[in-house]
Amino acid sequence: MKYIDFPTLGRRPSSEFVVGGIIDPEPAELDGISPGEWVFNRDSIPMRRTEWWYHTPTQLWFLVERHTATDEVFGATLAGAAIDG
Amino acid sequence: MSIRLLKYAFIEDWAEPRFFNTPDELRDSYDVVIIGAGGHGLATAYYLAREHGITNVAVLDQSYIGGGNTGRNTTIIRSNYLTEEGVKFYDQSVELFKSLSEELDLNIFYSERGHFTLAHSDATLRTARWRAEVNKHYGVDSEVVGPDDILKACPQIQLDCGGNHEILGALYHAPGAVARHDAVAWGYAKRASEAGIEIHQHTEVTGIDVAGGRVVGVTTPRGKIQAGAVVSAVAGFTPTVLSMVGLSSPIEIFPLQACVTEPIKPWLDTIIVSGSLHLYVSQSSRGEMVMGASLDPMELHSRRSTFEFVSNLADQLLDMFPFLSQVNVNRQWAGMADMTPDFAPVMGTTPVGGFYVDAGWGTWGFKATPISGKTMAATVANARDDELITDFNLSRFGDYELVGEKGAAAVGH
Ligand SMILES: Cc1cc2nc3c(=O)[nH]c(=O)nc-3n(C[C@H](O)[C@H](O)[C@H](O)COP(=O)(O)OP(=O)(O)OC[C@H]3O[C@@H](n4cnc5c(N)ncnc54)[C@H](O)[C@@H]3O)c2cc1C
Repeated sequence: MKYIDFPTLGRRPSSEFVVGGIIDPEPAELDGISPGEWVFNRDSIPMRRTEWWYHTPTQLWFLVERHTATDEVFGATLAGAAIDG
Repeated sequence: MSIRLLKYAFIEDWAEPRFFNTPDELRDSYDVVIIGAGGHGLATAYYLAREHGITNVAVLDQSYIGGGNTGRNTTIIRSNYLTEEGVKFYDQSVELFKSLSEELDLNIFYSERGHFTLAHSDATLRTARWRAEVNKHYGVDSEVVGPDDILKACPQIQLDCGGNHEILGALYHAPGAVARHDAVAWGYAKRASEAGIEIHQHTEVTGIDVAGGRVVGVTTPRGKIQAGAVVSAVAGFTPTVLSMVGLSSPIEIFPLQACVTEPIKPWLDTIIVSGSLHLYVSQSSRGEMVMGASLDPMELHSRRSTFEFVSNLADQLLDMFPFLSQVNVNRQWAGMADMTPDFAPVMGTTPVGGFYVDAGWGTWGFKATPISGKTMAATVANARDDELITDFNLSRFGDYELVGEKGAAAVGH
């Protein structure tokens, strides 16, 4: 099992998280792309990128930087204090 | 030992011709370049030659033939899908599979086993009934059966599954089958090669040249090649190849793992799938238990396999078949599954002229190998989507016309 250091949580196994995918541009930034293409299309080429990760036990969202060819994780930050209301 | 084998021991010149003979040099130009010598690429090549007389074709693979998902899958063939488009399409594939050994002049060990999709809850039983009705409507042999019928076909199964997931019934699909995946790839390669098609292994496509909205050729480390049409049949590498022509798609790559045990005496005749337990199992003609689960949880472009996979799988499997605790796992591996949001493929023409895509085969594309080859060949030959695949065009996402096959493809590959 892969263990990753998270702010607030400490060291947690990756199995406690649901990955919400890459951070997309906002619809307002769309340029020449139809809404359907924005909804569905993904650039799933191997790369280092920032993803949404959801921690199921605490219901906290994190931003995790990961390489999708090697599965290497470079760091995690808590996603916006605005979320915990 | 067969007499034939013994005979070869005494013959100096190897009498059996090689499976395919490809010249060392690439030509400067081909009518059609197919990227990817998996089952789909090779079948497309074969049907281009056989049904359309197009033989100035090269199939290029970055590695060796069948080394992608074609040689990594668990070979389940079935047509008990959920949508009209899916049922019609896969049914034609099953029909082609039935006579494929004769057609390719190679035994692909096609073996009809019957296929049980177990239901451990009322909700799954409802989906099973829905699928059975859709299947019957299109003439596909599927029915909902009860625990007694399951026990009759597989007396070793523990119907209470350790007490947590009692089996309430199943969708039974009599035509469900398995076959030898390598033989399918090699058989198509052999026949395509006999027709004059070239298969170049260890030839990676690193770029695709487009001029005036049309493909004109491809770039490889062995040089540039001109091409009238280019077909991408690269499964887990599709997003990378699409990016070479500036196309986006919803396809995301997730690892899918599988494993086999040491060979044991034949005891399991049928194919058993359980969506709730994330598990499916069949027994190969060599006696190995062939087993798999659902996708790994995160996008990853890698074929590494993990200990969690086998340990989770064993945990679930032993609830159903406790006696297998005595059996050792021999090998495990992974493939890169090209997943679509609706669990249906992406096939046919694209906005780039002369560029065709055959992808989105995720965890379910082996069974589609013959019909994909046939319909892609027709699509390339006529420069127009074959009517069986129009609903699978890449444009369906932008148009919100998804196919909705998840209910029949999530775990049962
Ligand atoms: C573990 C596992 C179990 C499965 N079980 C089943 C099952 O039971 N039933 C079922 O129907 N399906 C199953 N599948 C799915 C099935 O294996 C695939 O959908 C199918 O084999 C895809 O075939 P293909 O020819 O399109 O792709 P592949 O066989 O993957 O061929 C693609 C080829 O393209 C080559 N390539 C990639 N990029 C390039 C490039 N740039 N230049 C040149 N060549 C390139 C690769 O080297 C590869 O050989 C399973 C898959 C996996 C991984």
